[in-house]
Amino acid sequence: MSDAPANAGLDSVRLAQGGRANPFLLVPITLFFLLLGLAVLRSPSLMSSAGIGSAIIVATPLILATYALMASVISGRGTVDLSIGPLIGFINVTLIQLYGAGILTNPIAIFAYAIFIGALYQFLFSLIVIYIRVQPIIVSLSGYLALSGINLVILPRPGGVAPQFMADWGLGTSIFSPVFAILVIASIAWLLFTRTAFYTHLRLMGSDERAAYTSGVPIYVVRIGAHLISGAFAGLAAITFTGLISSGDPSQGTTYTLIAVTALVLGGASLAGGRGGVFGSFLGASNLYLITFVLATFNFGAVQSFVTNLAYGSILVISLLLTLIIPFIQRHINNFSPLLYFIGLGVVAMGVILHATNDRDPRTRTAPVDDTVVMQPIAPIALEELYVGPLEVAAPTAMEEELRQEAGPLVLVALLLIAIAVFVRIAVYQSNRRTIAPAVAVVVAALVLFGAYLMRAGGPFAPNNSEPTATEESR
Amino acid sequence: MTTLAQPPKLGLPATIIGVCVGIILTAIGVVFGFLQGLSVQLIILSAIATLAAFVWGWRFVLGQFVSDANSVPEGETSEGRKVWLQFRPAIFGLIAILALFLVLSLTIEGFFNVWNVVSLLIILTIIVLTRTLGRHFQENRSAFIGIMVLAGLFSIGSMNIEGFASANNIKSMLLFAAFLGIASVGQTLVALLGGLDLSIPFIIGAANVGLLYLIGLGVPPWLAVLIVLVIGILLGVINGFLSYKLQGQALIVTLGTGFAISGGVQIVTSIGTAYGGNVFGTVPNWLSNLAAMNGSTFGLPVPPVICIWALIVIVLIVGMRLTVYGRYLYALGVNRTSAKRVMISELTYWVMMYAISGFFAALTGGLLLGWSGGGFIGVGDQYLFLTLAAVVVGGTSLLGGQGGYGFTVIGVLVLQVLSSFLIGIGLDFEWQQFIFGLLILPMVALYARSPHIRTQI
Repeated sequence: MSDAPANAGLDSVRLAQGGRANPFLLVPITLFFLLLGLAVLRSPSLMSSAGIGSAIIVATPLILATYALMASVISGRGTVDLSIGPLIGFINVTLIQLYGAGILTNPIAIFAYAIFIGALYQFLFSLIVIYIRVQPIIVSLSGYLALSGINLVILPRPGGVAPQFMADWGLGTSIFSPVFAILVIASIAWLLFTRTAFYTHLRLMGSDERAAYTSGVPIYVVRIGAHLISGAFAGLAAITFTGLISSGDPSQGTTYTLIAVTALVLGGASLAGGRGGVFGSFLGASNLYLITFVLATFNFGAVQSFVTNLAYGSILVISLLLTLIIPFIQRHINNFSPLLYFIGLGVVAMGVILHATNDRDPRTRTAPVDDTVVMQPIAPIALEELYVGPLEVAAPTAMEEELRQEAGPLVLVALLLIAIAVFVRIAVYQSNRRTIAPAVAVVVAALVLFGAYLMRAGGPFAPNNSEPTATEESR
Repeated sequence: MTTLAQPPKLGLPATIIGVCVGIILTAIGVVFGFLQGLSVQLIILSAIATLAAFVWGWRFVLGQFVSDANSVPEGETSEGRKVWLQFRPAIFGLIAILALFLVLSLTIEGFFNVWNVVSLLIILTIIVLTRTLGRHFQENRSAFIGIMVLAGLFSIGSMNIEGFASANNIKSMLLFAAFLGIASVGQTLVALLGGLDLSIPFIIGAANVGLLYLIGLGVPPWLAVLIVLVIGILLGVINGFLSYKLQGQALIVTLGTGFAISGGVQIVTSIGTAYGGNVFGTVPNWLSNLAAMNGSTFGLPVPPVICIWALIVIVLIVGMRLTVYGRYLYALGVNRTSAKRVMISELTYWVMMYAISGFFAALTGGLLLGWSGGGFIGVGDQYLFLTLAAVVVGGTSLLGGQGGYGFTVIGVLVLQVLSSFLIGIGLDFEWQQFIFGLLILPMVALYARSPHIRTQI
């Protein structure tokens, strides 16, 4: 940026755009698509309505716990809330006990209770940090021990029954479950929050509390606010966690502490404060879920959980080491856009998904399905097959065939959406230059729209000739 | 302490408030005494003791404030108001403790007896002393408070619990304190640099399982111990290198390596076995003797691990005070820029401290194997937060540069006596953990409060 005084105007534009870009998202995005591609290749059923649905059910408590952690971590002073896991467990067990006692039955009351308890705890936390002025990590350590103790008192062993409406969530047969709605609403709420001045104050305080204090930011109010938001997220995480396990569990929630910290860091947030976002946290938590998912498709038998641990640890350390090269990347690419990068990799991943769900190897298609038993002695493999083999999936069963019919339109619609996003992005970016790019973009858009038209009208590319509105039917 | 030579003079309102509170307190005691049907002599005795101790404590506390307040110019407000403003936190705290005691006495049957009243008085004395005498100690305030808390806890415990002060109980407390103490060596040294090592529990578990696995393979036990210790050092070196390169991320880096270590060791040990992570084997006798409760050191009926710990304590305290390495460590912790200017290699120290941490974690794992006689990967799990708690309660700052291993020893002992006390009064594990968590905060708050933001600018 420094060597082009002539292009000062252009540089300032770039600077403005680069300011918003977060290069720390580079690693999580890459990892996300890598794992997604691997997961889909290993198990194509992930890309079905039921597969995504159950993935959302399982991953949402972790994602929300990461959000909760993120909100307080941004506030600085090394506020890594180790007590987030026990807090989720606490809300879970009290919820189950209160429901069992017949006190909390109304869904609205349950939501209000969970969010209130989470916010109350975090409020106390922030008051202690502000007025007693003990290091936050000690407060969270104290809370960790106290809450994980009291959880076992309230509910000595896993048990109890969740409210019926919550128990139904855990089935995960469709993408559009209430859990998904909670996740989307929580994410959007945070994104809306980032538009406020309060968020700017929060980030300023997180990166430099003294500067914030001297410039008149009400740091106490901001800190309390950050903790209240964190508590609300923790309440939501506890609700989705209760929905996932459909019962009470005093110790399971505790494990969320370490995983959520891992997810947060994997998502590019800084534990020192001031940096972190909902997008990165989402990616970090999803990455952890995908790691477990991918490893679960390999059958390690008794050592499964150890391999998962090993993978967690190594990926965490490696991704941290990768952040070291970000300054070099920043020096050479001075306008890194996470969104464009995300879309670019998304298109590649879409290709992989399309391949995994729709493409069939012609050689395996001729073979009957039932003959591919794993235990048979292995015949010598042709060299060509050896290289291509691992990437190809087996012949489709009837169920997979149906799945494919269902997934085809979904995938194509997604591709269309991505293409439009790319077009919009390019159009916005190029709009202040006199180049041929807008024209190219318009042509590309026209081609895409033409493709969409062919698909919709039952042309040669239509996946399902009987029903043009297959997407709606499949829900 | 010389300032306490002359008795402090109190204002009239303060005296009146003090006497009133004291009389109310005594009256409560007397009423409860009669309600419980204790003998009259006992009631009178405890009433006098309560009143006297309270009045003395009151004068003592207020005296400290008065001597401070003399320099404050006279304001417009009335005397009662001023007194209220000055002693507000102290009075609130006192009322809170008394209210808690009252509630406990009302709710729990048989709670109100002489021993509990004496315990309350001891607690009050500790608090008063720490708030007053403590401010005369600029450097070692946390050590002073730690010793006070330790003495108070121990005396309360030996009064309330049968056999608390017996030789056997003390020996077992020291034994467990030794494990925690050895595990906390690394955490202390690393905290002095401003880092954290959360991989300690994982290395403990991995060493525990790995040692038994090696012995089970037929490796001579002494060689197996050596191998495990060397591997511990190597893991520490990796930790130190990564933590140095990723400044400020030590917490998460060591957590990551910890996950990887524990997963990796379990994979290695469970290859070829059907037990999936459980390792079986026999522990050699000398290793059991090292850490067992009935072990003996050169004929003395003391478990050798306690002596090992004592040796480590002496070496570390002396070494950190007198050797150049120890002084450089503090120099780095206080101000790394200026330490760099005097040619102290940061990287060397980070790697060295983490290597020591890995070594002692592996040592703890090996000793715990001798104690339990069976390998278990989760044996170190409780040390994840306990080592941190010991360091923090002892008074070593997690930001680096302040504290030392002597402080951590006090922290370890406080935690150990506290947990023995809680077990002694018959609390379940969950309640212990709950109270543990609640008590860490006030203990740390007694001395480790950071200054207000406006003083940091």
